[in-house]
Amino acid sequence: MKSASFDYVRPDTLDAVCSCLASHPDARIIAGGQSLVPMLAMRLARPSLVVDIAHIDELSAIRDDDDALVIGAMVRQATALSDPLVATHLPLLAKALTHVGHPSTRARGTVGGSLVHADPSAEIPLVAVTLGASLRIRDANEDFEFNAEEFFIGPMLTMIPPTACLFEICFRKPTSANVGTGFHEIAARRSDYALAAAAAHIEADDAGIVQDLRLAIGGISDFPQRLPVDVNIDLSAGKTNLGSNLTTAIDAALDSIDVVEDMHASASYRRRVAAELARRAVDDALSEIAQDLS
Amino acid sequence: MVHDMGSKPMRDKKYRFLSQPRRVVEDRRFVAGKGKYIADYDRADMAHVALMPCHLPAARIDAIDASAALDMLGVIDVVTGAELVAAIDPLMNGLDTPKVRRYPLAVGQVRYAGEWVCAVIAESRAIAEDAIEHIRLETTALPYVLDPEQALRDDSPLVHPDHNSNVLLDKKFVWGPVDDDFAAADHQLNFCVTWGRNSTVPIETFGVVAEWNAWEQMLDIRASVQMPKYADQIAHALGLAGNQVRVHYDIDVGGSYGVKRGIKHAVLIGYLARKLHRPVRLIEDRLENMRAGDAHGPERKFDVSVAFDKDGTVRSMKMRALDNAGAYAGRAPFQLGKPIGAIVGPYRIGSVAYQAISVTTNKAAQEAVRGFGQAPTNYALETAMDRVSAFLDMDRLALRQHNFIKTDEFPYLIPSGSTYDSGDYHTVIDKVMAAAEYPKLVATCNQLRKDGMMAGIGIATCLEPSGGNSSFEPLLNERNQTTTWMESCQINIDALGTVTARIHTTSSGQGHETLVSTVIGEILGIDPDSIRVVRPNSLESLPGNSPVGSRMAIMLGGAAARAAEKLKAKIIAIAAHHLQCDATRIDYQGGAMLSANGRHITWDDIIESAHRQIHQLPDGMDPGLASFDIMQVPTGGDLPKDGKVHMYPCYSFEFHLVLVAFDPIIGKPEIRSYTIGHDCGTVINPAIVSGMTYGGIAHGIGAALLEEFAYDESGQLMTQSFLDYLMPSSHEVPDIQLVKYCTPSPHTVFGQKGSGESGYLGAPAAISSAINHAVAGLDISFDKLPIRMSVISDKIAAATHHRSDSG
Repeated sequence: MKSASFDYVRPDTLDAVCSCLASHPDARIIAGGQSLVPMLAMRLARPSLVVDIAHIDELSAIRDDDDALVIGAMVRQATALSDPLVATHLPLLAKALTHVGHPSTRARGTVGGSLVHADPSAEIPLVAVTLGASLRIRDANEDFEFNAEEFFIGPMLTMIPPTACLFEICFRKPTSANVGTGFHEIAARRSDYALAAAAAHIEADDAGIVQDLRLAIGGISDFPQRLPVDVNIDLSAGKTNLGSNLTTAIDAALDSIDVVEDMHASASYRRRVAAELARRAVDDALSEIAQDLS
Repeated sequence: MVHDMGSKPMRDKKYRFLSQPRRVVEDRRFVAGKGKYIADYDRADMAHVALMPCHLPAARIDAIDASAALDMLGVIDVVTGAELVAAIDPLMNGLDTPKVRRYPLAVGQVRYAGEWVCAVIAESRAIAEDAIEHIRLETTALPYVLDPEQALRDDSPLVHPDHNSNVLLDKKFVWGPVDDDFAAADHQLNFCVTWGRNSTVPIETFGVVAEWNAWEQMLDIRASVQMPKYADQIAHALGLAGNQVRVHYDIDVGGSYGVKRGIKHAVLIGYLARKLHRPVRLIEDRLENMRAGDAHGPERKFDVSVAFDKDGTVRSMKMRALDNAGAYAGRAPFQLGKPIGAIVGPYRIGSVAYQAISVTTNKAAQEAVRGFGQAPTNYALETAMDRVSAFLDMDRLALRQHNFIKTDEFPYLIPSGSTYDSGDYHTVIDKVMAAAEYPKLVATCNQLRKDGMMAGIGIATCLEPSGGNSSFEPLLNERNQTTTWMESCQINIDALGTVTARIHTTSSGQGHETLVSTVIGEILGIDPDSIRVVRPNSLESLPGNSPVGSRMAIMLGGAAARAAEKLKAKIIAIAAHHLQCDATRIDYQGGAMLSANGRHITWDDIIESAHRQIHQLPDGMDPGLASFDIMQVPTGGDLPKDGKVHMYPCYSFEFHLVLVAFDPIIGKPEIRSYTIGHDCGTVINPAIVSGMTYGGIAHGIGAALLEEFAYDESGQLMTQSFLDYLMPSSHEVPDIQLVKYCTPSPHTVFGQKGSGESGYLGAPAAISSAINHAVAGLDISFDKLPIRMSVISDKIAAATHHRSDSG
């Protein structure tokens, strides 16, 4: 388990990163290295050049852009987890980050690295899809962005060109004061890769009418996916049990997803558990709103 | 005063150091990160080895072209199985199966996916791995077999065609009137359970460094090893004299519990060191270790029938144990033999029929694993007890208590020929039930069920045969006539009066230095912390058999005690000579010896006499203060007769009581309460025994729920790293309440029994029992370990669905 030999560079600017990538078509960016280093060691990845982006200051900032929170690609997961802006404006991300690896891996692992690595069971991509985050990318001095929902196209596969670098992620702040979130995942052991995961972000108006219900699942298919559930929910009289409408809508949305299976869990298990976790995530989110309203 | 420990058992007196809560000597260096492991051993001109696997489960090797690799800068050599077969002898396997040959590298044929076909030696491990990518391996795929039942069939592919069968061992034993007991019993039931292929999986992989000194004609071996007769086997395979191989025992072993045997590695690296005249090092990487380190554990299918009466008396049992050995014999067949020594567990089962079958398949070979086959057998036995209880609608614990051997029935001869030494099973149960507050546990379980959870209470009782000898070898192979499995210890008191003990094995965390210093300190009456314990090399050692079969407290502790008693007798004789009294009148009190008339002689005076003043010694006494002891296993020494043999001297007892709960949809078992009662006789160091037990339970949780070396249908190992081979972490291991009890063994120096396998021997059975108790209302059961959460959920869903359909 020694990596094949490679060259290593540590540019100071994003443009320098892009020119390295342009000159080495098989180059790989290293951020926190929590996935890439084991892949290098097992020779599953064998780039000729590794481009370290750890010393580009602008990638390590969390910025408040009025209606959005912008997280630099190189922001460590542990930093995001302890950041007061994240806690205030992105409660779903804060919840999900506690499930990402262990404290030691979060100290190195980055928000951007997890997104471009695109593990189907990873938490941060699931949150990005749930919240419809924008992924901002630079490629040969040109910036463009993807909505997270378009970004993930397969297991460890994204729309990012090999010559491009993700530099920041833009999360829209909630527009309503009444926000509830829920995040649940199941793994064989604490902090293992999720066999199924669900995230919910719900906003309601002051009368308790749900205006925005965002629900997504991860871990059960090739990439995280939104579950479209179009159900009217009224919390003005407090929270009640999830209606059968919602349960049916979740099941119906899951029906259209191709579910994977492996030695750790069957497809039927993943589908059943994803439905349950989705219900729990929505339930948690609604409870939070109901509590705020009361 | 203690002269004769046989006639005056030491356990009757209060111990000064033994059984006291004393610090573990080894912890100091381990906790500080100052252990000395094989990877810490460095040599300036050391060559490094990487191993090239073949990824087919069965293939003929047509050609290996290493020319491109050999052209690379830094590559020293590439060695194949064909080269080895001409230069060394096959590895020993202990069975009478001469056509099942095993070499460190595949010879002519690959027998499992990942098997090593050649070794690349280079200036660094990285270069060696680079070079592997330039070796061309030409193979022809052959048919393969993975399932042991299929391997038994006539039309199965043969793993070793020359052997003309996949059967390594098929022995049938009938102990007692089995047919009569079955005919007379009120009921019988049959079931099948399967123990999945797990192992002890140390964080430190196997590693070995070999150095050949041509001018001394000496092969020096340093290895992360735990193995009896390691030096002998290396010498045998390499065609060297016994005194040309020197294994250094002062290497700390970073985890083992049986699997760190590495004999194929050592023979390969020893061969390379001689050939290349350079120090050569192999440290397995995780892939080499998991795929082809040949360190998997038992994979065993049990077909069991039990005959029992209405009142719960279990009269007789028939057990067919089919073990999937993998591609080579390894230690797999013998792991079917050891459980014969406790085949009825703690129960008065009057007769047993046992069929032990070991078959080769195209999977990696097995190594010895904690308990040496006892944990799987206990799982089958305890399942039988639960099934009988369910059949009779009888309380599971009451059924066990009804069948227990009673404390006044010891020594108790079991049908297969072993005699249990001592025990008080009923008292341990009572203590655990009280400590766990059983009625509260039941109430909690019921409340969980009311709240919509699945919840169950699991129980398991079992024995830990300890003081390991190898009686199962002659039992399974008549040509093997081994009747001793000795252990030894040497002690020297130097001219400054300090004590040094020599022990003759590596240590893989069992605390041997603590054990030996405590025992010697107790007998000589001096502070154990002042006693140095060293581990010299094999040529400076007396015979021993390393820590296997839960034996070191009994055997190394025994040899150390006996050697210390010899020294003490000499000290007393010197004192008596000085004080001109009879030795029986000497009151031995550690640092000073007092005689009856009030005169005394100091420790320093004794040392001075022994080391400098032979004129002060009794006539004919040799100078110096040194002793040694080579100890035979107590109660051992007989060859089998009529398919029966007495195996181990001591039998520790454990009782597990657990509460497990899980959501019916998620299916993830959470252990809400865990209490274990443990009786291993006199405890030498309480912290070591507790640590063994906690670790054993963690290991058992892995076997029950998570750990498996699983192969897919194409013969590929799916669990090649810790990504997929899931070991319990601290999150998955609950708080454990340990209830200690002591029934001394009559056969050992202090009444001690073994504890190295404790916890692991019963935990899988207990957790399986709890999960099955939780789902009993659905008329489903889980009969294969590990019980994965997805399987739990899927089965509950199917049962619930079935019910709603039919209801």
